[in-house]
Amino acid sequence: MKRKPVDHAAAATAFIADAPHLDFHDARLWDMRQKRDAQMRLLPEWQDLRARASAIKEHVLANLADYLEQFERNARRNGIHVHWAADGAEHNRIVAEILDARGATTLIKSKSMVTEECDLRPYLAARGVTVTETDLGERIQQLDDQMPSHIVVPSVHKLTGDVARIFARAYGTDPDADDPHQLAEAQRLAARPVILHADAGMTGGNFFVAETGTFVVCTNEGNADLSATVPRVHIATIGIERVVPRMADLGVFIRLLSRSALGSPITQYTSHFRGPQDGGEMHVILVDNGRSARLGMADFWTSLKCIRCGACMNTCPVYRRSGGLSYGAVYSGPIGAIIDPTFNERKYSTLPYASTLNGSCTNVCPVKINIHEQLFKWRQVLVDHHQMPFVKREIMHMAGKLMGQPGLYRAAIAGAESALSTLPRFALYNWLNPWGRNRELPQPVKETFHTWYRRNRPAAKPAPFDNAET
Amino acid sequence: MSARDTILATLRRNGPDPSAHPLPDPARLGDADASPERFAASLAQMGGTLLDRQPGETLDQAIARRFPQPGLMICSLVPEATGTVRIEDLPTPRSAEPVDLTIVRAAFGIAETGSIFLSEAQLRLNALAHLTQHMVVLLDPTQITANMHTAYLRPEFHTARYGVLMSGPSATADIQGVLIRGAQGVRSLAVCFVPQQEDRGGSAPT
Repeated sequence: MKRKPVDHAAAATAFIADAPHLDFHDARLWDMRQKRDAQMRLLPEWQDLRARASAIKEHVLANLADYLEQFERNARRNGIHVHWAADGAEHNRIVAEILDARGATTLIKSKSMVTEECDLRPYLAARGVTVTETDLGERIQQLDDQMPSHIVVPSVHKLTGDVARIFARAYGTDPDADDPHQLAEAQRLAARPVILHADAGMTGGNFFVAETGTFVVCTNEGNADLSATVPRVHIATIGIERVVPRMADLGVFIRLLSRSALGSPITQYTSHFRGPQDGGEMHVILVDNGRSARLGMADFWTSLKCIRCGACMNTCPVYRRSGGLSYGAVYSGPIGAIIDPTFNERKYSTLPYASTLNGSCTNVCPVKINIHEQLFKWRQVLVDHHQMPFVKREIMHMAGKLMGQPGLYRAAIAGAESALSTLPRFALYNWLNPWGRNRELPQPVKETFHTWYRRNRPAAKPAPFDNAET
Repeated sequence: MSARDTILATLRRNGPDPSAHPLPDPARLGDADASPERFAASLAQMGGTLLDRQPGETLDQAIARRFPQPGLMICSLVPEATGTVRIEDLPTPRSAEPVDLTIVRAAFGIAETGSIFLSEAQLRLNALAHLTQHMVVLLDPTQITANMHTAYLRPEFHTARYGVLMSGPSATADIQGVLIRGAQGVRSLAVCFVPQQEDRGGSAPT
């Protein structure tokens, strides 16, 4: 699919220009990171948990087909209808068929990133189904017609005043309300009647268990459990990679998930669904949507270990200062930047560059995904596939030539030093030089290290790389 | 080929070598302290409270002290407390919507997180746990398990069709990061340590 790449840098520039939003966003996410650190320090076994979580996930991914079949068998035995969707379109069709067959026209939903991947809401809206997001942050984003900007806290880029304006429009509340409690109460009161009268409910799933046919939903607001238990029909959409072998394995992941995400020991609700309630109906849709293909990518398959905690986003200096929406994708932040290109290489070709490669994402990842290394690998892949902006490509091309030939490199360095000291500003700070955009270029030095070394160590044995010159 | 067969075939073709990725033994990690004190501290961290009984006070009196407002609709699912409405009179989620307070016995609690476990065996009507405004949970202190690893060895996870670990009341911080206890589910959750009476019916463990 030919699509213009997301202009992350331009969107980030706009985000940075708004100081109050930027400052809150940066501080809020860093606070989540610090709360995560505090939880980590309380548990001497933290690194052991991470290692185990990673090992279990890698084992599952190496045996994924078997575990999916085992889950399907056990879930069916418990009365759950199990469906398989190769892609988003098939997923949406399955949901519509379930609703159609039951004459359901109203659907309440808790947050699910997979349904965002599938773009479910517009599909159902076009078929006359009213879909209401029940998670507060996700509802704010739905009412504002935006994607979630963070996988755990969807509206983290908004301030109270933004929410007040959106709720005033949708719920008729005070547009100048400045108390989050008042606004959260407005959401509770607006959601209740919708929940009570909905024809069907939908949730995602954080984990599912092959051994028992159970799926697990971890949330805080209570909206997912309302969506699952109040209507007669419960549909759960889950990515195929979220399976764990045994019930006993859940302990490792539950202990890591909310501590990594929000810095709380556990989510307020950890709900286990093993079969329909009396008189009810339960459906699980297992969604592939590119995952089975990703499993075959030698450098990137471990990104499927992700449990969607968002810790890598909270710690990332680029994410904190550019906002999730600037990535123009369902998944933002470091994990988004390594997943999104598998959905559309050209459209998301800019995202692996939205990183300083500082490795903080890798350090906080509870399942030990080497995120920063995959970011670097993606840059190599994208260059090989010619998915690189013209200026960056040309600069890298020239840099490659220079670095490969020390003589040329030294001449260029000497030239650059004299250029830095003699060229007028307009020649240094222009669109061809993104490094000059938000920073001053370094002060030129009188002498390079190489010429200093030559002058002061004339008797020293020539370094091996000097041979390249001859 | 069906989506199912296509997905499974692709996974089998693309997956890494299973012999390089063995499954670790189930984890036995974490603090083994299963005391009511640790449970109470964890519960407080999650925004829940303890309902203490003063000497000689009945459970009903303790609850009335915590919820003094007159005219509350109270659904008691336990023989130890008196309600104003019986669960048998709440046949549907919609009929449970006006309930102010639900009193229920948890199957067990988790000291590490202050969580309590409820299933259809305790709730009878699952939606009641989320539609009720407030909840008082009875917990037998001998039914506290130390941590998440020991919790998942409990048999309830293999028998309940719906099993929820509630850790304090519902909460959100989705508006400008302000933590609000009482989001869309229960506004408050109080735990009262009450040993299980073996000879009393109606609240047998699953």
